[in-house]
Amino acid sequence: MSDAMQFYLSTLLIYLFIDVMGVLGLNLQFGVAGIINFAYIVFVAVGAYTAAVVSLGPDFPGNFQHYLFGASWPFPLPILAAGAASGVLSLVVGLISLRRLRSDYQAMVMLVLSLIATLTATNATGLVNGPAGLANVPQPLFDQLGLPPLEYQWVYAIWAGLLTALTFLFVRGITNSPLGRTLRAMRDNDRAAAALGKNITALRLLIFVVGGVIAGISGAVFVEFIQAWSPGSWLYPETFVFLAAIIVGGSANNWGAVVGALLVPVGFLEATRFLPQDFNLFGRHVVLFSGLVDALQWVAVGLLILVFLWFRPQGLFPERPGRFTPRAAIASAGKGE
Amino acid sequence: MAVAFVVTVAACGSTTQSATPKTYTGTLTFASFNPFTGPDASFGPEMQAGCIVAAHLINKAGGVLGHQVQCITVDTRGDPADAVPAAQKMIATTSNLVGMNGPSSDEAQATVPIINRAHIPMFADTGQAAFDKNSNDYFWRLTPPDDAAGIAMAIYAYRKGYRRGAAVFGSDLSSQSNVPTLVSTFKKLGGQIVLNQSLALDQSSYRSEVQAAVAANPDVIFTEADPQTDAAYLSQLQQLHGLIPVIGTEPTIQPAWIKAVGGAIGKANLAQIYAAAQPYAPSQGPAWKVFNTELLASASEIPQPDQWAQDPYTQTDYDAIVTMALAMIMANTPDPSFFNQQIANVVADSPGATEVHSYQEGKDALAAGKKIHYVGAGGPIVLDKYHNSSGAFQVAGYATDGSNPQLDIVSAADIAKYA
Amino acid sequence: MSQLVPAIGFGLITASILAIAAVGFTLQFSVTNILNLAYGDVMTASAFAAYIANHAGVDIWLSLLMAALFGAVFSMLLNRFVYFQFVRRGTRLFGMIIVTIAMSLIIQNVLLAVFRPTFFSYEVSASASYTFAGMILTGSQLAIMGIAVVAMVSVHLLSTRTRLGKAMRATATNPGLARSCGVATDRVIDVAWLLSGALCGIAGVVLVLNTATFSEVTGANFLVPIIAAAVLGGIGQPYGAMLGAVTIGLASEVAASVINPSYKDVVAFAILIVVLLVRPQGILSEVASGKEVAA
Repeated sequence: MSDAMQFYLSTLLIYLFIDVMGVLGLNLQFGVAGIINFAYIVFVAVGAYTAAVVSLGPDFPGNFQHYLFGASWPFPLPILAAGAASGVLSLVVGLISLRRLRSDYQAMVMLVLSLIATLTATNATGLVNGPAGLANVPQPLFDQLGLPPLEYQWVYAIWAGLLTALTFLFVRGITNSPLGRTLRAMRDNDRAAAALGKNITALRLLIFVVGGVIAGISGAVFVEFIQAWSPGSWLYPETFVFLAAIIVGGSANNWGAVVGALLVPVGFLEATRFLPQDFNLFGRHVVLFSGLVDALQWVAVGLLILVFLWFRPQGLFPERPGRFTPRAAIASAGKGE
Repeated sequence: MAVAFVVTVAACGSTTQSATPKTYTGTLTFASFNPFTGPDASFGPEMQAGCIVAAHLINKAGGVLGHQVQCITVDTRGDPADAVPAAQKMIATTSNLVGMNGPSSDEAQATVPIINRAHIPMFADTGQAAFDKNSNDYFWRLTPPDDAAGIAMAIYAYRKGYRRGAAVFGSDLSSQSNVPTLVSTFKKLGGQIVLNQSLALDQSSYRSEVQAAVAANPDVIFTEADPQTDAAYLSQLQQLHGLIPVIGTEPTIQPAWIKAVGGAIGKANLAQIYAAAQPYAPSQGPAWKVFNTELLASASEIPQPDQWAQDPYTQTDYDAIVTMALAMIMANTPDPSFFNQQIANVVADSPGATEVHSYQEGKDALAAGKKIHYVGAGGPIVLDKYHNSSGAFQVAGYATDGSNPQLDIVSAADIAKYA
Repeated sequence: MSQLVPAIGFGLITASILAIAAVGFTLQFSVTNILNLAYGDVMTASAFAAYIANHAGVDIWLSLLMAALFGAVFSMLLNRFVYFQFVRRGTRLFGMIIVTIAMSLIIQNVLLAVFRPTFFSYEVSASASYTFAGMILTGSQLAIMGIAVVAMVSVHLLSTRTRLGKAMRATATNPGLARSCGVATDRVIDVAWLLSGALCGIAGVVLVLNTATFSEVTGANFLVPIIAAAVLGGIGQPYGAMLGAVTIGLASEVAASVINPSYKDVVAFAILIVVLLVRPQGILSEVASGKEVAA
């Protein structure tokens, strides 16, 4: 295999791992705890920015980019800092939005929060360098390992895969624990769960923060790989891509999250890049005007999502019914219809 | 990191130097690696037009070393996260990829190292000042950085007698990068920046912003924002106060901006108040004529080709492809690891070199054993040791027939004084 | 301070556009419980419909009516042929959000493919401007405010004075019960989409009259303020949406004039969050717990 192909495939693999991490975190929040977090990408972004600024070194006057709190922390501190920063932010946002708001209000407040975050990062240029974003983020241990770029990239892919596997085991631990069962029960009927004496808000907040930490770590792994991060990378529709992955893969199923990440952000968005730019139609050579192919790519993504929802509304890997919660019964008892 | 990178590049360079060139069969491919969707979607077609025209002319002249050439587009979607896999995919799956136009500002920082590592010569259109002292071997830039545009706007405004300027720029990357040098230069010249507004993009109303601008009583507005933002701003200025002279940047002279703002405030009004500083492209002379003739004949592949006739970016992207093709002949191979070093020689004004104005002329001169000096459709190319060629600026207006008459020229020397 | 009074006038214009859009959004959501994130794209599609009419020589105000008609029919068909089909197959509310996002992608990019990436403007004859108590308004802006008021009053009369309005409110509160009381809920839902679509179409054109020019993303860019206005007032409450629109419209213009223009949306949205901290159900809504989003 050519080096170029190896670069491409390892890049896709790293993207896949990062997306799987991201989707696992969101699936924990949405699929397991029923929190509709339209601002999820913000927590990824905060992780990315945090990892970037603590590894870029102190800012200096003639620098081509400006940011707060520059430091040169060694590996793996930037990743831990990213998880911590996103976790703290999740706690604050969760305390504000999860306690009192109805779930549809929560969803829309999160959407608005996502926009506020983008606007702030764009306009407060001293914070994280405004619209230009941060660049030249050092790759972890690049100098110490002393590997050629391609080998380094494969090592990075293994590292990202390791983190993803750990995340998977951790999330599975939560979903299979009594805590996970309580969470699902509470998602399906919070009044019944409350009647059993579970402190709903505290549990949801806990899971919201755990999901946020995962998002932050995935952002850190991402930025340390692509070495650049700007507001254009985390506009609010990016969260929808993750949500689509969950719906396609199967909500509340961790394997579903993995497959969803493989199909939607990596598969759909990448495969459409292979659409031809010109073709022969009835012997005539047709060249598509620039931009048309790209517009049609997005149409194709939309259609694919619809097709999946139509034929597999429960996702490719449906949630397995829990042994202890006859949730269908509880749900139907709790609803008017 | 940067040090390690330079070392790696040097190491790669030395290994390929001693190796023999790769052999190529079939058509050679040039890519336009730019945003085709997203907020900067207008960049893509602008760059691609230059590539298509150059490819036509190269093929008409019998191709390069027996190869036909073609252009493809690669959509970066205008953000680094999407651009990185796009670059990797382009490098991995494009057969006979020998060069490209792009990247643009949105994705340059993340993708230039990747493309450089793959030894693909890139003629970037990023305006970021970070590349003024570029150290990537395969990076070339024929257009000046955005901060030079800010200086040119200030100088022109001062020459026109304006003393109270309002800086009204979109909050996006490419717009904001003009502001610091614009403000500092205008102040140095003795003017006053009475207002510095950063506009949230695509709002339904800018009336309060306009009101604040009017209250500051400027005699000129400096601006760059996406077409809809500037159209809304200026039409609301027209409603509330009446128009004020506007000096824009190169992105404002693009057809989409002109169409949006002209539609919003009326073309005749736009013609009266508008000027824009853009990289100097004479849009005349033998090289431009060759470019323009073929451009206008390419309507089947380029919609409304005349819209790019005077566009300095389209012209320099055309020059980039022609330069690469001539460098291939000089290196006697389409292998970028070899012809990349010849790029500077194609455009150098070295003693005894024959001045050529098209691929055909260059090819013939080289076949006759002469040294060549390619003068492009966008004017002479003077590369510095950082692979940058930043020349003069021209100030163009707008006429209701759609043309952009030249109003003034700001020389490279003038710009250097304030850089 | 002298800029504050005009800013209030400008805020009212923004509020009028937002109100038309937010009432349409909330009306449909309350009846059908589908959070339609393709709403902004239907606005854009309607703006294009008006553009085609306008450039065929039709007066802009007549084009606006045609856009309303287009928006109405388009929304109803969108529901019948896409959304309702998914609902019938058992797609739950959250899945439906994804369906609407997919439709948003499709509509937006089909528009991009058809009209190509450039900008469009209407042919509008310049209108005189008037000054009221320090506020400067043009004739067409007054017309926009007039349209907003007429639309609001019509929605009010419709929902309180007619059998149809009662049926809509019944369907909104408890569709099962409404059906068993003899309300033809399917038809009511069609009507809700028609009405919401008509308001959506009007909002699209009125928005473009303000921005002066538009492209395939113009409506979608306006979606979040619309949602913010609807949530601020209390979802499903037409009056709440109006109040929310006025709050957001005024806040963003005043913020632009006295704070910093680039933070105008930030200020407007921060107000939304503060209000929700105090009144978690929005300004006007009584908590309708039966309408909880079931994931």
